[in-house]
Amino acid sequence: MIDLHHAIVLGVLLFAVGLYGALRTTNAVRILMCIELMLNAVNLNFVSFARLAAVSGTAQAAVPGQVFAIFVMTVAAAEVAVGLAIILQIVRQRGVVHIDRINLLKG
Amino acid sequence: MDWNLVTPELIVAGTGLAVLVLDLFLSEERRRSAAYLSLAGLLAALVASVRLLAAGLPDGSGAAAAGPGAGLWGGMLVADPFALLVKLLFLGIGLAVIMLSVDFVESRRIAAGEYNALVLFSVLGMMIMAGSRDLIVIYLGLETTAIASYVLAGLLRGDARSGEAALKYFLTGALASAVILFGMSLVFGGTGSTSLTALLAPGFLGLSGAAPVSGPLALAGLVLLVAGFGFKIAAVPFHFWAPDAYEGAPTPVTAFFSVGPKAAAFAVVLRVFAPVLLLGQAGGPPAVLPVLFAGLAVVTMTVGNLVALTQKNIKRMLAYSSIAHAGYMMVGLAVATPQGTAAVIYYLLAYAVTNLGVFAVVIWLNNRGTGDEISDYTGLAGRAPLAAAAMLVCLLSLIGIPPMVGFFGKFYLFMAAVEAGMAWLAVVMVVNSAVSVGYYYGIVRNMYLQDEPAGEAVRATPMVGTALGLTVAAVLALGFLSEPLSHLARLAGGGL
Repeated sequence: MIDLHHAIVLGVLLFAVGLYGALRTTNAVRILMCIELMLNAVNLNFVSFARLAAVSGTAQAAVPGQVFAIFVMTVAAAEVAVGLAIILQIVRQRGVVHIDRINLLKG
Repeated sequence: MDWNLVTPELIVAGTGLAVLVLDLFLSEERRRSAAYLSLAGLLAALVASVRLLAAGLPDGSGAAAAGPGAGLWGGMLVADPFALLVKLLFLGIGLAVIMLSVDFVESRRIAAGEYNALVLFSVLGMMIMAGSRDLIVIYLGLETTAIASYVLAGLLRGDARSGEAALKYFLTGALASAVILFGMSLVFGGTGSTSLTALLAPGFLGLSGAAPVSGPLALAGLVLLVAGFGFKIAAVPFHFWAPDAYEGAPTPVTAFFSVGPKAAAFAVVLRVFAPVLLLGQAGGPPAVLPVLFAGLAVVTMTVGNLVALTQKNIKRMLAYSSIAHAGYMMVGLAVATPQGTAAVIYYLLAYAVTNLGVFAVVIWLNNRGTGDEISDYTGLAGRAPLAAAAMLVCLLSLIGIPPMVGFFGKFYLFMAAVEAGMAWLAVVMVVNSAVSVGYYYGIVRNMYLQDEPAGEAVRATPMVGTALGLTVAAVLALGFLSEPLSHLARLAGGGL
């Protein structure tokens, strides 16, 4: 039987996978994908916890969590738009997306 | 619902949109109007905030208007003395940055309308962060600031270093946002509410009695929030992006990053953690939080200062210097007392004013073709005596020499640490300040003591000159006004 706790464990695992990927890979687009994975883990957490609050309390208690998830999706879309634009600019300038080869600044 | 409480935000948002529209109708030679309109909007918002603050102070008539309970949307957004005081700081930062960037934007052919609108939207996000008392609103303010900042870092489209700065700032910023959000989801899971006040229920975070599972869950969320905001304020070990982003970004934008988003992140940290830390003092303490802040403070200031000693580029050196100052400010959180909170608020003001002064000089020289290496400042006292004197005043303030404002900032933090029985932390702070003299003095020595064949005199443009004059005046004046200002900071901290 799958219950809410499984959803929360899945959220934690998804977040861990995303974090690992974001820290390990050097491809900027992949890092962005991993960050998206982390954000989806967050959304899963929010709706699961919202459901949990609704089960133990009133249906009203679920609203903030669900609203938060919608805000996260909206803002993440805006963030990705800016991020991809920045990556595109770098690729046009230098033809690389690997952050270990984007290293003019150091010291 | 009292829309009056958000007039400053509404003015800034409206001005930002107006600048975007105005930009469409301006000819190439009249692009400066965008900056003038932004300055007018920020000034109007500043006046509105001062009026709200004056009305909300205890001796004013409208004490209830800005009381802790008052706010918009069921207390999600509040206009208490803390929020208003910090908003004044943010608006001042916005004014200074726009004044400093007018000539830079023109000479580098940055699109003036976009630039000014982005600064305004970033300031708007910072103001929302200052007034939020709800996780959703904090997140929205944070992202409003951050997304505008990513674009600002990359605005020099022809410069590969600017693009690289933007990419690094974006990737770490987005990662930090994800960590903050995960922390928020755990706090929400623990408390069942997105309101910050839910954390303060008696015994909730004491890990005993009423909350055997949800208390620890919320506490884990808070620890993740510390890590996420550690990225935003560039605390060691989450600081690696800052020197690159600061060096590559356009110089006025670097000035903005070093004070604006950093101060806003500190405002949120104070808003979330100050009440929780004080709660810990009253009994049933989440002891992990003060220890965490103390550790971060020690590591951040030590690493920041030591690495700054080895820097050759002034923007990079100032990045490490700003990391060190974030470390000092965290001392005020680690002590977990009302005095500590007030000291952080005071230090935020002191640091922002002083650092803007330093950057004003850097931008002045940058506009006139001087490079960003510290060796480029050799013999500056001969070429531009005023710039050198202003730089000297600001550097003395950053070191913490009386009567500059920076001295009082460090003094209050020091006293807060001693009074809380954490004298060792105060000693670490003083030793670090002594180390910092090493790299600040390097600039002073280059400016005054090294002879350079006298070059051409370097004059400031009116805008940069005015901004520099105002910040240096503030560095001196706020030092003399430290008593009323610290009173205001205590008042603001008390209402958190």
